[in-house]
Amino acid sequence: MSEAKSAERSRDILRVLTVACGRSVDQLLEQVADGHADELDSHQADCVHCQAALSELNSLWSPVVEFAKQPVQAPPGLVDNVMDRIYALAQDVWYTLQLSDIGAVKIAARVVGRLARDTARTVPGVRAALGRTSQGRIVQLVEAATRRHRHPHAAVGVLGRTAVVDIAVAVRYGEDVHEVAAEVQQRVIARLRHDVGLQLVNVNVTVDDVVI
Amino acid sequence: MDSPCREEWGLSDYTQDDVYLVNRAQEGYFDAYQELASRYAVRMYRTALRLLSNHEDAQDVAQDASINAWRRLEHFRGQSAYSTWLYRIVTRLALNKLQRDKPVDSLELLPDLPSADDSPPENLERHEVIDAVTDAVAALPIPQRVVVVLHHFEGLSYAEVAAITGSSVPAVRSHLFRARRSLTYTLREWR
Ligand SMILES: [Zn+2]
Repeated sequence: MSEAKSAERSRDILRVLTVACGRSVDQLLEQVADGHADELDSHQADCVHCQAALSELNSLWSPVVEFAKQPVQAPPGLVDNVMDRIYALAQDVWYTLQLSDIGAVKIAARVVGRLARDTARTVPGVRAALGRTSQGRIVQLVEAATRRHRHPHAAVGVLGRTAVVDIAVAVRYGEDVHEVAAEVQQRVIARLRHDVGLQLVNVNVTVDDVVI
Repeated sequence: MDSPCREEWGLSDYTQDDVYLVNRAQEGYFDAYQELASRYAVRMYRTALRLLSNHEDAQDVAQDASINAWRRLEHFRGQSAYSTWLYRIVTRLALNKLQRDKPVDSLELLPDLPSADDSPPENLERHEVIDAVTDAVAALPIPQRVVVVLHHFEGLSYAEVAAITGSSVPAVRSHLFRARRSLTYTLREWR
């Protein structure tokens, strides 16, 4: 068939509501676009009009299929940018590690939470671990209440020396849940004491679920 | 299509569905949210890209959608799937951007009428087809563009598209009927 005739025919099918047998062009195109051009119903199996239309529409729809198959990658750094902005939104909670003549050395609670999480993941039997420091909400309330009469450069939410850390872990099937939880607690406490210098640490371990 | 594997966190097998991570993120576990954000980054960006046809805008919208979702996470009560809720946010932000940049009326374009002699070149480069489809999608009226992107490019069901757009399944289907006619007509030389 010549190019001109082919173009003519596609223009025709897109200008009518139904093909010669009465079937709806829109529904045939829907069938094609949803990838079911080859799945003929009992009428279509015996109908040359439907078969010709499906074939024609399948060809007409093919550029869209090609387009849809194009892989799209998320821009690099997208999630990091999101998390940076989310951390910036959150009221950062700080623990004071040490008071001296030169002042307090502080560590952000979220850093403590991450360190605790990473430590928990080193415990055999732990399948997944999430960490947080649990005083965030209290500090937010304090921070909100004192916002108007606080020195603008004052550290927000300095909590003193006690860190409270929550760890949620999932434990591999067959492990002793209590033993794993105790090991997580010990390792996290040891890590925060020795690597960070947080002397007073409360670590709450929740075992969420058992992964098979 | 899907988010990159996060095997190093050991979370990918554990949380096949999003409910666990959503619950934990709502309780203040930031890394639960980071996993959700990673899981949906491609889908958010791709949806925005195909609605807006512009990388910079799509990146902004995808980021804003993810931050917006975090801020509103406490209001998410699981009435819909988390993915549906997120798609609603990204779609709304993308449409806001479109409507800010161009009044909606100007997007109610009629299909281009072909001139008699605009036959395509003999050997079509793949990227030319892609450009042609991009233009054809961008020329659709907004409601048609949204349903095409969500159904044909994101693979969502009519029911999901209806939930995301606050519409009904028959309305979604009807917009799709028109959109497919326009697209095939505009792209008929590119098959
Ligand atoms: Zn028929």
